[in-house]
Order: sequence, then structure tokens, then C-alpha cells
Amino acid sequence: MFKLSRKTIINFILIACAAALVSIFSPLFKNSAQKAFNPHLSLIGLLKRECAGIIFYHRNMVERDKFKNEVENLRRKLFDLREVEQENTRLKDLLNFKQKSPLKLVPARVIARSPDSWSSSVIIDKGRYNGIKPGMVVINSLGLVGRVIESSKSNSKILLVNDPSQGISSIVQRSRQEGLVSGSLGANLIMRYLPVEAQISSGDIIITSELSRVYPKGLLVGKVINIGKEFSGLSRYAVVKPAVELSNIEEVLVIIP
Amino acid sequence: MKKWLLILFTLIIFTTLQLSWPVSLRFFNANPDLLLIFSVSLVFYFDFKIALVSGILAGLFKDAFLPSALAINTFSFAVWSYLTFRLSSQISTENSYVRLAIILIIAVLNNAATGMQSLSSGSFIPAGIFLRTLIISSVYTMALSPLVFKLAKKISR
Repeated sequence: MFKLSRKTIINFILIACAAALVSIFSPLFKNSAQKAFNPHLSLIGLLKRECAGIIFYHRNMVERDKFKNEVENLRRKLFDLREVEQENTRLKDLLNFKQKSPLKLVPARVIARSPDSWSSSVIIDKGRYNGIKPGMVVINSLGLVGRVIESSKSNSKILLVNDPSQGISSIVQRSRQEGLVSGSLGANLIMRYLPVEAQISSGDIIITSELSRVYPKGLLVGKVINIGKEFSGLSRYAVVKPAVELSNIEEVLVIIP
Repeated sequence: MKKWLLILFTLIIFTTLQLSWPVSLRFFNANPDLLLIFSVSLVFYFDFKIALVSGILAGLFKDAFLPSALAINTFSFAVWSYLTFRLSSQISTENSYVRLAIILIIAVLNNAATGMQSLSSGSFIPAGIFLRTLIISSVYTMALSPLVFKLAKKISR
């Protein structure tokens, strides 16, 4: 039926032998071929990875710049919002205080500060046009700020309580001990002419006295933080921390009598 | 005329800057006296008459915003301009260190005069605060003077 020639059989045998030989030696060839190609392939792999990395890095860098700008914008917006929020709180406090207070008050904004280091004054954006006159007392929701010393049509000059030329007749709220509070150019005020036996201690609240012709009675001036003896030894003095942070005051209320 | 306008404009700018000097840039409540530096620097770069009139103007601008009724700066700025002019004819003021020293001395004297005037009017300033304000304010004024000198030089051209 199947008649194979001798030549065909030999060919088959040769092919089978070749296949056997290939199958025996191919792993060896494979290994050596792989070994030989390994550095090149690794290099190409590395290059591909690096290229992909560069592209990825560049894309990330662009994105990073975009996000950075976005963060900056958001930060600026947040800062603006915080400013608005703080201003809102301050104005709300002033408004609450103005509504609750029996005094007639005119709100004003601080527009300039003293040009030298030897006085403590501010200029506000309200003047005679709004009924502000020299001698009027200036406060804010926290306490006494100062008094008007000059007023033009649209602005007024306020001498702050920490100006060295200020003298405010005040009393210790607890013991009703009287003294004269004056500024010292520093952050704190000094209450002087206190008798040696004066009843005053740290933490006492200082308010304006009824003896003062300029300031209404009972306005909060500050809090005693330290007590000392005058150089002469005849009287004592108290260092008073003002109720109002005078260095960065922004809005005030002028009392219209 | 152009120079006068430029000087006037700079004086207005410096007055505005001095009045609205940021609280964060005030050291121990002391701020630099830009008007004083400018009025002295004009002596180095301009004709004496221009410097003197500008000095008086600068003093007037400063006194206008001070609580004190006495116009001490109007007078003292003119005196410093005159004294600087006399001094510059005696010694060379070309060196920037000499100019810095002149500004420092003038700032110390001007601050001392203002402080003494404040004390003599009955104000109470503790010795420590007096010295602190005197020194810090004067050094701060001197530290900013090179910038003002540059501006004055530019205006003079």
C-alpha cells in the first residue's frame, strides 16, 4: 500500500536526526544567544524606560507647575477671604458694640500713622463733616484708644493712649485707687502717682475715672501687669497693658457727646 | 522746573510711605525717617538753595502729620541741610561711608532733639525706651539711606 523508497526513508531519518539534534542543542544555543543579547536588550530596555520616564517627568512637571499655580491662586484667595473674614468680625464687633452702647458713636477707619518714632498718633478718615471735633474720645469694642486732637473737614488726628504726652485720670476698678495713666512710647502704659499703701495688684482692671474732664467715666483702659516703686520711693507705679492692641488698630469709634 | 516737580513728587511719595509704614517693618515701634534722608541727600546732589527749600518742605510735610504743635522738623531739617552743606565744603563727602556716617549723626541729633522736646513738654518717656527709640530709629534711618541716595542721584540727572 505505502511504498516508500529508500531515499525517502533516509531523508525522514535525517530530518528526525536533525530535529533531535536541534532539540538537544537548542537550549544551549538559546542560553548563549540570550546571554549575548542581554546587554543590548537591557540597554534598550533602560533607554525605553528612561524615555518613558522623561516623558512622564515632563508631563508631571507641567502638571506640577499647573497645580502650583492653582495652589498659589487658592492661597491668595484664602488669604483674601481671611482678611475679609477678620474685617467682618471686627466690623461686627464694632457694630454690636455701637448698637449696645448708650453713647453716640461714629465709626472710622485708620488711614495713616505717626510719621516719627516719638509720638503715637493715627489719622482717621472722618472729620468735621461727620461731626468730629478736637477733644472727642476715641474707643473701639475693646476699650479706650485715645482722643481727637485735630480735625479737618474729612479726617482727624487721634492721639493714642500710649503717646507720652497723654495723661488719663484713671482708677483701679477693684479698689477705686486713683492714678494717672500715661503713655511711654512702648507697648504698655504707666499708671503713676500711686501711694505706697495703694491697693493694687497684677491683674487689676484700670478704667477711666470720673475726675477726668476729657474721658467719660468707666472706659476700659487696660490691665495691670506689673507694679514697681518710683525712684524717689514716695510713690508706686503700675505697668498697664492697654486693652486695645494699639500698634495695629484699624477701625475705631469716636464718641460724640 | 522738571527737577522741582520731581523733588515735590518724591517728597509726597516719601511722606505717604512714612505715614503708612507697615507695622511689620517697625522695629520696637521705630520707623525710618525717609524725609530726613531725602532732604540731606539733596545737599549732595543738588544746588544748596534747592536742597534747603526742599528740606524745609520735607520738614513741613512731616510736621503736618505730627501731634505736636511745634514745627520742630521744619526748622531742624533746614539746619541739617545747612550744616551738611557747610560740612561738605570742609571734607570730602564723595565716599558712601562718609555719607552714611553723616546720616547717622544727623538722625541721632534729630531724634535726640525731638525726644528732648517731647520730654521738655512734660511727656514721660522712660530712659530705656528713650535710648531704644533713639538708637533703633537712627540706625534704621541710616540703613535705608543708600536707597534714598540712589533715588536722589537719579533725580539729579
